[in-house]
Amino acid sequence: MPLNIVVCLKQIPNPDLQFQIAPDGKDIKRDALNYKLNGADEYALEEAVRLKEKSGGRVVALTAGPKRTEQMLREALAKGADEVIRIAFDEAAAYDVGKVSRLLAAAIRTVPHDLVLTGVQSDDLVNSATGGLVAGLLGLPHASVVTRVEVKGNGLEVACELEGGLQRLYSIALPAVLTIQFGANTPRYAPLPAIMKAARQPIKELSPTALGFASWDAVPLPYTFAVRELSPPAAKGHAEMITGTVDEQAKKLAQFLRDKGFGRR
Amino acid sequence: MEAIAVGRELGSRSGGHARVALFGHDVRVLADVLAGTGTEVLLADDPALAEYTPDGYGQAARAVVESANPRLILVAHTSQGYDLAPALAGAMDLPLVTNCLALRFDGERLIATRRLLNEKVQAEVEIASSRPIVATVRPGSVKPAGPSAGGTVSVMPVRIDPSKARTRFLSIERPQVQDIDIAGADIIVSAGRGIQKKENLPLIEEFARALGGVVGASRPLTDMDWLPKTRQVGQSGKTVRPKLYVACGISGAMQHVAGMKDASLIVAINTDPSAPIFEVAHVGIVADVLKLLPATLKELKS
Repeated sequence: MPLNIVVCLKQIPNPDLQFQIAPDGKDIKRDALNYKLNGADEYALEEAVRLKEKSGGRVVALTAGPKRTEQMLREALAKGADEVIRIAFDEAAAYDVGKVSRLLAAAIRTVPHDLVLTGVQSDDLVNSATGGLVAGLLGLPHASVVTRVEVKGNGLEVACELEGGLQRLYSIALPAVLTIQFGANTPRYAPLPAIMKAARQPIKELSPTALGFASWDAVPLPYTFAVRELSPPAAKGHAEMITGTVDEQAKKLAQFLRDKGFGRR
Repeated sequence: MEAIAVGRELGSRSGGHARVALFGHDVRVLADVLAGTGTEVLLADDPALAEYTPDGYGQAARAVVESANPRLILVAHTSQGYDLAPALAGAMDLPLVTNCLALRFDGERLIATRRLLNEKVQAEVEIASSRPIVATVRPGSVKPAGPSAGGTVSVMPVRIDPSKARTRFLSIERPQVQDIDIAGADIIVSAGRGIQKKENLPLIEEFARALGGVVGASRPLTDMDWLPKTRQVGQSGKTVRPKLYVACGISGAMQHVAGMKDASLIVAINTDPSAPIFEVAHVGIVADVLKLLPATLKELKS
């Protein structure tokens, strides 16, 4: 059964970096960040491409973000997406997951979709909300934290991860929305010819009017949302630090462990 | 129980009260336990709710929200909670804020405290709406609700239409255990992405042996199959309380910390001085584990 798959991707600042708060306290400083495809979304993209390879169909990669996200979309093309769409929502931070999800849902309505995939969470905002919101807004069934997807008859069988290593298995009717868990598969590397080809492929751009909004500020929302303040988290407590050169640190650590009764023979 | 604690407090502060919606089948005993927190428990009992499904529980949740019309709907930010809450908000066109450490009302506005970017940034966001707001509460953020008098259980009739169910429960799969149980170990040396290559695992194993402990891991390593799933420490893996926990090249994401924060002594080694693991560790070392561990082994052996 060929599947029309839409995979929602997000470009995020590399969370391994250190961050500073912008002077107005409403965002992080963004002038020197490097961006990457969100970790869980890599698995969602890979799952989409694998399902297409198995069952036939098409993969559309979709994002809402500024121009810089084109690089991520080209990566998606190189890894097997057939078409890429950028919702030209230029807000750099996009802290309101409700608004972004409404944009994604509006864009998904414009393309055929048997299956919508996204990562279980974004590592920058850690909402774990986009997939569920999109499902609710589109009126589609959904499942979260998915580690395994199999096409069975006219629907899917999915395994969803619970706490403590348990998995819950569901059957789910199509069309549906799934959020894909880290480690669900092994994402591929893009082959060089595909990277070269992706550089020349078109990126479809959606303006507010293409989605039926007068402007990005005119997206109807049942609430108002604002970032009040970002701050460095108040440390709950902090480790006592062992400093010095590596050799000095090693000496002190070994001594400390022995003093505590560990590492004695 | 933590979400109930948040609800009780917000309710009493704002002159309202918290009610608890319980979905399930034959769960009267649990309803009575929840009523022990002094809250009114709305029990939605239906055979279709015996097992969680996004569809069945979604239908039940919508029915509760429609009849109770609350100002705030609290859900625990667990894999089941963040499956249910966003879809509920989407389906009913409600505002949503998730993974909150703290919630308070400032007049009409709900203020949520959240953590971003690997715990390195704290954010306060505000939502105002005439509609019920859906919020999920991060586990471990507050103390579970203690006992209180005056609780009641009232049965709320819900009709779940099984013919409308688009998700069907099949089974629960348990992990196959053919490995040591790290939850029983007194000393755990855990490796994270900071060890860089699978080829560096023997160093961790040697260090664990020198301390008389076992090797654990953070999620990325078990995802890459460097170590079996049975060694994973964290929310989706094992919760451990050893006497000594050495975190080697682990940044300390919330999911990992949830599984090891109660260790008696935590030593963390990481190259990033801003890594959140140093917040829960008792002793921290900013260093490359690949250099520090061999040097420490030499010291331990001398």
